[in-house]
Amino acid sequence: MKAEEKVNPYDPFRIFWLSLHFVNLYVYPSLHSDPVDVETLRRAAASKGGLLSNELRRKVWPKLLNINVYELPYKPGKDGRENHKDYNQVVLDVSRSMKRFPKGMPSAERAVLQEQLVDIILEVLRCNPQLSYYQGYHDVAVTLLLVVGERMAIAMLHTLSKYHLRDFMDPTMDSTKHILNYLMPILEEVDKELHDFMIRAEVGTIFALSWLITWYGHVLSEFKHTLRLYDFFLASHPMMPIYLAATIVLHREQEVKQTECDMAMLHHLLSRIPQDLPYELLISQSQDLFRCYPPALLAKRPALQSRKSLSISTFKDFQLSTLHQRPDTVLQPRHSGLDVALPYDGVQQRGKGSRMVKMAVWGLSATLGAAIFAVAQTAMEWAPDVLLQLF
Amino acid sequence: MAESLSPGEFSSSLTSSASLPPPRTRIFKIIVIGDSGVGKTCLTYRFCAGKFPEKTEATIGVDFRERLVDIDGEKLKIQLWDTAGQERFRKSMVQHYYRNVHAVVFVYDVTNAASFRSLPAWIEECKQHALGTEVPRILVGNKCDLQDSVQVGTDVAQQFADSHSMPLFETSAKNPNSQGGINSGNSDHVEAIFMTVAHKLKSQKPLVLSQPPAGSGASINLSSRMEDGTDGSRGWACSSC
Ligand SMILES: Nc1nc2c(ncn2[C@@H]2O[C@H](COP(=O)(O)OP(=O)(O)O)[C@@H](O)[C@H]2O)c(=O)[nH]1
Ligand SMILES: [Mg+2]
Repeated sequence: MKAEEKVNPYDPFRIFWLSLHFVNLYVYPSLHSDPVDVETLRRAAASKGGLLSNELRRKVWPKLLNINVYELPYKPGKDGRENHKDYNQVVLDVSRSMKRFPKGMPSAERAVLQEQLVDIILEVLRCNPQLSYYQGYHDVAVTLLLVVGERMAIAMLHTLSKYHLRDFMDPTMDSTKHILNYLMPILEEVDKELHDFMIRAEVGTIFALSWLITWYGHVLSEFKHTLRLYDFFLASHPMMPIYLAATIVLHREQEVKQTECDMAMLHHLLSRIPQDLPYELLISQSQDLFRCYPPALLAKRPALQSRKSLSISTFKDFQLSTLHQRPDTVLQPRHSGLDVALPYDGVQQRGKGSRMVKMAVWGLSATLGAAIFAVAQTAMEWAPDVLLQLF
Repeated sequence: MAESLSPGEFSSSLTSSASLPPPRTRIFKIIVIGDSGVGKTCLTYRFCAGKFPEKTEATIGVDFRERLVDIDGEKLKIQLWDTAGQERFRKSMVQHYYRNVHAVVFVYDVTNAASFRSLPAWIEECKQHALGTEVPRILVGNKCDLQDSVQVGTDVAQQFADSHSMPLFETSAKNPNSQGGINSGNSDHVEAIFMTVAHKLKSQKPLVLSQPPAGSGASINLSSRMEDGTDGSRGWACSSC
């Protein structure tokens, strides 16, 4: 495990400086190179701070999943959607998903989005009859919807369902259980004592189930943390959520060991994720764990040999397929630009008047850059997000 | 995080676990099952937190809630295991949590006939986990506040309950005081239901309470658990299957 870092990852100077660099030097050139430099985008999404703004996410997320923004699926019609076998369950879960929407959102607006949420879920399921809906799938869908809008969300959800989430979408949860079964071996590699304690308590791994199958969207109350993790997972191996789960448990090692060695107590403790986790640290630790104990190594254990994961076995091909994407400037059909569905985005609305500023900033000299840098100091909390609006 | 428990609810048990060894508090473990959407989360939340949750979310896997109660001068811990309703979760996921359960609460939604028709399957599933008639079981019809949309009449439900030798309670997690039934005055009906179960458990032989119900394997004493745990991967596989 890496030692605790001395640099404050939330230092606004640092964030601003890095993000300026990062967007101008890495992200934009990667988006515009032909083929798109997905490798660099991936690294950017997983590196400190993630993609930082939803505007950037809208550009980068599709590339991470090999989606052509000019060939998005059409808005699904409502005809016959209630005939789908999962219709009732989806409606039930979506109607209970109020917490996933921004706090101040008017309920009428939320209702529209919830309708769209039902639509996109059923649309992906309709196109993929081999996939089964699971409770928690809606937490993934809502995260996508809130960032990239309905049509792009369908495209992204479609790809995720075929690859990253594939194991969770079997008719039974056996494959999901198989993925969860990687958790304890990782812990055993790192902290045998903690591992043995948890085994003795017979706590099982269901405490991490919702983390895994919703990419933590179900358990984090701050949307920005969910987004940060989605940047990371979209850019990573499909097993990464399990490595993060291991990292979180390891991070809470003291707490765990001080708890009564009892299933109920431990399940209770672990299933409630602390909301103030040091995400950046945990992300880099998960990457370290992944490098030290990759899935292929763990899979040699007898307990993990009974099953094969589709998400793991198809990942290589998926990754290769993302390497041949043309940049949007090349893909763009002659009279389009209208074709890209506009998503809801509170943040974006806040920055609507910034088009002029945007252009100006593109041409900024280093001096002006320094001036903005100074502004950033006084704008600590909202600095990264708002400043990045400018790009 | 759906309806997290208020800190107060848990503090007593946490402090007792810090200062070893606590005066032995008996624990009653009750599993709550039934179709998705019938109100299991709301009912367990109502009992443990004393109110109807403003927003619930789909339960993914198993949620755990706990409350300390006082029955005839004895402090007892009631653990409620709130399970996911979607079938796929039950088959391979929730099993682990059926073990060592002292009582079962079956829930259906009085405004949803399908949730009532699922009950035989739930009962069967419990039997497969060695939770048969020897374990106290009750049947709860929830959402009685929605009187205009009742689909499952009391007669039918009562008949069904009788045929499975279970007591029936009709209630509402949302508005539990509107019941005329067993509750006296304005006390909370949901609370009364769970307390009835607790009383029943307390009146049973004490031995039964600290051990798993017959048939589910009596190997929970610490030493045999440790043996299970010595081989990491095997112990792990066992605990999850
Ligand atoms: N009117 C009414 N609604 C209820 C009652 N109990 C639960 N609900 C609602 O039914 C839905 C499902 O409840 P929930 O507890 O999440 O069901 P679960 O899937 O069985 O856990 C939620 O929208 C609740 O607000 C009740 O007693 N009366
Ligand atoms: Mg529930």
